[in-house]
Amino acid sequence: MDQSHIRNFCIIAHIDHGKSTLADRLIERCGAIRGTAQEQMLDSMDIERERGITIKMAAVKLLYQAKDGETYELNLIDTPGHVDFTYEVSRALAACEGALLVVDASQGVEAQTIANASMAMNQNLEIVPVINKIDLPHADIERAKEEVEMAVAIDASDAIPASAKAGIGIDEILEAIVQRIPPPKGKPDAPLRALIYDSHFDSYQGAVAYIRIKDGSVKKGDKIKMMSTGATFDIDSTGVFSPSLMVNDGLGTGEVGFLTAAMKSIGDASVGDTVTLASNSATEPLPGYRKALSMVFCGLYPSDGDQYEDLRDAIDKLRLNDASLAFEPETSAALGFGFRCGFLGLLHMEIARERLEREFGLDLILTAPSVDYIVHFKNGSVEHISNPSEFPDANEILTIEEPTVNATIMVPVEYVGAVMTLCQERRGTYLKTEYPTPQRVILYYSLPLGEILLDFFDKLKSNTRGYASFDYELAGYEASDLVKLDILLNGDAVDALSFIVHRSFSYQRGRAMVEQLRKVVPRQQYEVRVQAAIGAKVIAADSIKPFRKNVIAKCYGGDISRKRKLLEKQKEGKKRMKQIGSIELPQEAFLSVLKVAE
Amino acid sequence: MMSPVAVYVHTPFCPSKCGYCDFNSYAMQGQIVERTVSAICAEIERSPWRGRPAKTIFFGGGTPTFLSEDQLLRIFDAVIRAHPPVEGCEITSEANPGTVDAAKFSAMREAGFNRISLGAQSFLDSDLIALDRIHKAGDIERAVDAARQAGFDNVNIDLMFALPHQSLVAWRKNLDRAFSLETDHLSLYCLTIEPNTSFYKKHLKGQLDLPDDEAQVAMYDECCERALSKGFSQYEISNFAKPGRECRHNLCYWYGEEYAGYGPGAVGSMTDPIGGRYRYTNLKHPERFSDAVEAGDRLDFERESLDGDVLRTERVMLGLRLNEGVSSELLNPGPVKRLIERGWLTERDGRAALTAEGRHFCSEVALELI
Repeated sequence: MDQSHIRNFCIIAHIDHGKSTLADRLIERCGAIRGTAQEQMLDSMDIERERGITIKMAAVKLLYQAKDGETYELNLIDTPGHVDFTYEVSRALAACEGALLVVDASQGVEAQTIANASMAMNQNLEIVPVINKIDLPHADIERAKEEVEMAVAIDASDAIPASAKAGIGIDEILEAIVQRIPPPKGKPDAPLRALIYDSHFDSYQGAVAYIRIKDGSVKKGDKIKMMSTGATFDIDSTGVFSPSLMVNDGLGTGEVGFLTAAMKSIGDASVGDTVTLASNSATEPLPGYRKALSMVFCGLYPSDGDQYEDLRDAIDKLRLNDASLAFEPETSAALGFGFRCGFLGLLHMEIARERLEREFGLDLILTAPSVDYIVHFKNGSVEHISNPSEFPDANEILTIEEPTVNATIMVPVEYVGAVMTLCQERRGTYLKTEYPTPQRVILYYSLPLGEILLDFFDKLKSNTRGYASFDYELAGYEASDLVKLDILLNGDAVDALSFIVHRSFSYQRGRAMVEQLRKVVPRQQYEVRVQAAIGAKVIAADSIKPFRKNVIAKCYGGDISRKRKLLEKQKEGKKRMKQIGSIELPQEAFLSVLKVAE
Repeated sequence: MMSPVAVYVHTPFCPSKCGYCDFNSYAMQGQIVERTVSAICAEIERSPWRGRPAKTIFFGGGTPTFLSEDQLLRIFDAVIRAHPPVEGCEITSEANPGTVDAAKFSAMREAGFNRISLGAQSFLDSDLIALDRIHKAGDIERAVDAARQAGFDNVNIDLMFALPHQSLVAWRKNLDRAFSLETDHLSLYCLTIEPNTSFYKKHLKGQLDLPDDEAQVAMYDECCERALSKGFSQYEISNFAKPGRECRHNLCYWYGEEYAGYGPGAVGSMTDPIGGRYRYTNLKHPERFSDAVEAGDRLDFERESLDGDVLRTERVMLGLRLNEGVSSELLNPGPVKRLIERGWLTERDGRAALTAEGRHFCSEVALELI
């Protein structure tokens, strides 16, 4: 396809504004999928469909016959919708010239709308606003347009009213893509430069690099070179997304597709790298991306210590398809051998855990999630520490810095007070307020990342009856008066339960943690004393009374099956408990820290 | 001759529903009762196991004695015709102390019943009111007398402990009165709070002031000691009997033997010549049950096949409840050793049994051994 007939675009939207449904309609309209349509075609993982979110980017090539009679190649690159995966959105944007900005006609602009739109503007993409769900009773197209103009600062006068669900406005959107989004620039005769914007691992073909050709072209048999490492590979195949992989003869300037070249690891096709030819190489690589930053860390341990090697294999395999997952081995006095893992956010953490358990049949214990701190020692050394149990003694510490984020919170005006109170409770620093419309407010806050981990989003939602939307980006590090809180069970500190807390919250959260543990730890055969301590000083204590007996109940004919099933269920539950000394702890105990801010 | 089998009949009606009860029982009267009685008789008459002699017969509920004398004996006759009792067959009926009199007991004894199990529960009127029982403490003594006079030489009473507001002192008074009746058998149950009962709702709201673990252990231990001193043996974790008066019907359950169950919600466990051992549950609601009998439809709504592993688990779970314990061949030596060290289990003559302390942790021990 000649360059002037190619359009590369993505869809950006706040979560639940209808991005995946719109993608489905565009695909159907262009006939890329034949036969029965499966809802949400681009969300291929089970977990994506179950949760109704997009995690992994996918792409599809559409052939569209426009009103001018010409056929255009439209490459749609899907983007994840959750704030954890903002990083992946920025990668998708780099492969495009334009973006459909989808806004729910009844909800209006939300925090992620603003965050994603400003990312797209920074990359100079042409933005086409689409006001979706106009068939809903509460739809207010004019207000949504007004909000787009005020909050995102783009002209929304020619925004397209649509309903992806009802199939309204689909042709208009396709025409707008052709008419308003510019064709890719790039020089067909220049040496090959292709941006790797994503990848996945296939057990037969090795790493599959998702590429956008900026200059030149590429085909099967070419010898390519990765510009960051200099490694060379022979191309086995090239192709496009339909949305499943479809091999073709080659990819030309401006096109989006994939290549395979017997690359043994996902690291060979590193996202953000530039592919060129081994002979006739380009001299300048394309601007890359920063590496995905792990925001949340936790320990992952097998419930059954014998499964350590299985867990290692499983994480290795998961990482082949999830480049943003970071991990290294660690040991815990309480839990034995496991891994310290870094995630993009709590959702990412939960999804990784679910996939490890579901796809690899493991029973896992996750330790309390933490952020990454910078510790300045009195002896002058500086260390990044994300595991609270590795924190040094207080007398060795000069200062501690914690990561902070810039948060954007969009909320109806009547909830401003509630949001400000919550942000202040979470040690937020007020930055500014904007009023995109008289009814809606955007609050900008600087917040410690560690505070956002603690149910911030749920609290925000419940304090605003679900109306607030929220987005954040990492801002940097700030010195903070932090202390390590140890949790002792029968006098022994359990390293996997330690957490870092601001000194001013230490008593309150110590008590909350003890209380929470008392709730989730089942009664044992012995009394269990639960204490929270800073250094040698105990700041909160309680005890879990032992159970002295089982219930002695009758057991006759009809009770036998019921009693047996109950026993079998308890046995399963026991398997998932972790024995710490003589105490059995359920998984919830390790995540108790997430509840201490309530 | 076909091998004898234990027979259970479930009569699902009660004068009223007690707050703690999650059995298949209904406070219904009139036409539906009569219809259900006919349906139970019809079920027994067309039983696939018809002709197998009855090893034991047990009428449970519900309250069998809530039925009229005529209704109860019609079912009884159907059972006898289908399952002729073996020599010395134990034939039990449960009875509510508030629903019996000398005449009814006499008629039952005459017909062939030879064991009565009375749902006494407590000898304190305030407990009985709290439990929604329809009888008063005095009714229990009168009922035991009436049973004796009617010729029953095998009488059981059920007692419950760990009731709301129950003190150890009150429990001791209860035991005094229970043992003074000189029954042949005593069943002892801890009040359990089951979902779908009004007690459960109260419990969730914190409205049931239940004795703590320590008090419950003391109540249980006290009863065990008193029973021993009165000449009972504790042959099962919840059951005490004078010599030779162990409930043979219930022992069939605990030994994992076959039992046929008739009536709404009745459970049976039989052997299929092809599929092996299974357990079934009849339709629970009297109307659904009667509809199905009248239409000639299947009566079991649940059927579970019991394979080797399941049977082993059940043998261990039930065997542990028995004084004689469970065959060591069914157990892993590792956990057995640990439990013996902890003082919860003893092993003798190739059988492992709970110790007195171990009885308090019966489920815990079972968890280790299944």
